[in-house]
Amino acid sequence: MGKQRKFIYLLLILALVGYFGYNYLYQDHRNIQAETSQLEITAPYLLERFKTDDAEGLLNKTIIVTGVITDLEANAITLDESVYASFDGDFTGVKLDEKVKIKGRCIGYDELFEIVKLDQSSLIK
Amino acid sequence: MKTTITFVIVCFAFFATALGQEKYTTKTGNITFEASVPSFEEVKAENTNVSAVLETDSGNFAALALTKAFRFKVALMEEHFNENYIESSKYPKASFKGTIQNFDASKLLGKQEYIIKGTFNLHGVDKKFEVPATIAANGDDLTLTAQFVLQPEDFQIKIPSIVSNKIAEDVNVSVVFNLQKQ
Repeated sequence: MGKQRKFIYLLLILALVGYFGYNYLYQDHRNIQAETSQLEITAPYLLERFKTDDAEGLLNKTIIVTGVITDLEANAITLDESVYASFDGDFTGVKLDEKVKIKGRCIGYDELFEIVKLDQSSLIK
Repeated sequence: MKTTITFVIVCFAFFATALGQEKYTTKTGNITFEASVPSFEEVKAENTNVSAVLETDSGNFAALALTKAFRFKVALMEEHFNENYIESSKYPKASFKGTIQNFDASKLLGKQEYIIKGTFNLHGVDKKFEVPATIAANGDDLTLTAQFVLQPEDFQIKIPSIVSNKIAEDVNVSVVFNLQKQ
């Protein structure tokens, strides 16, 4: 009887270790759209912060950027020629010169185009 | 008379700089790298937000990838890549600057092979490199593709021995840039 009980306990522990181990190894990706933003900022000011090296804490953070659309591409929106937000999927219902709010993950400053890049963006209505 | 000459010179200078600034660019270039070992979890990541500029006059080429933008299938692998290997908070950029050898914009027709001589900057380390690349012209666009191999140790990226048998020593890198005329 005792031996059987031990065996069941062992099996239970193994199952738990397996379950949590698997969940740790194959945890989900961040869902930027569902995360609360850490900061709300205008597009030109965000660029200014990167240009003056005052943005280290912003990398990899979910932020909301406001600005006027100066360029529209299939999967990306440029705000005030200062922030380039790329989307994983499609987006609809916006046009040039419209003022919008975009939530995305700040991935850094692109010195070739002098622009700050966001990815996994979504539009906030 | 003098003013006319000055005017002509100014006009010419303007024209010359305008010509010299002919550029092809992209903000959505693609870099994929793979360091998988058979029968272990796939070590592969893709960055679809790479910027690149090609100046047709000089043949100068520059590309910049934000290291935070590399996406892996396994979230934990992405975290380890960012925190332990590429250290993307400390080194948020990976770049390449170089010159395409024997580049002649007027001969851009169809597909051609080139060598790009330049310097990689990755993980804060500079390394000179010659990259074989293919440039294909299609209308007003150029498609630059290249495949090459990088070794993490060249850029002082240390792979701990505990995982070294799961990560290949040679990292295969593949890039595709669809460059648009500006």
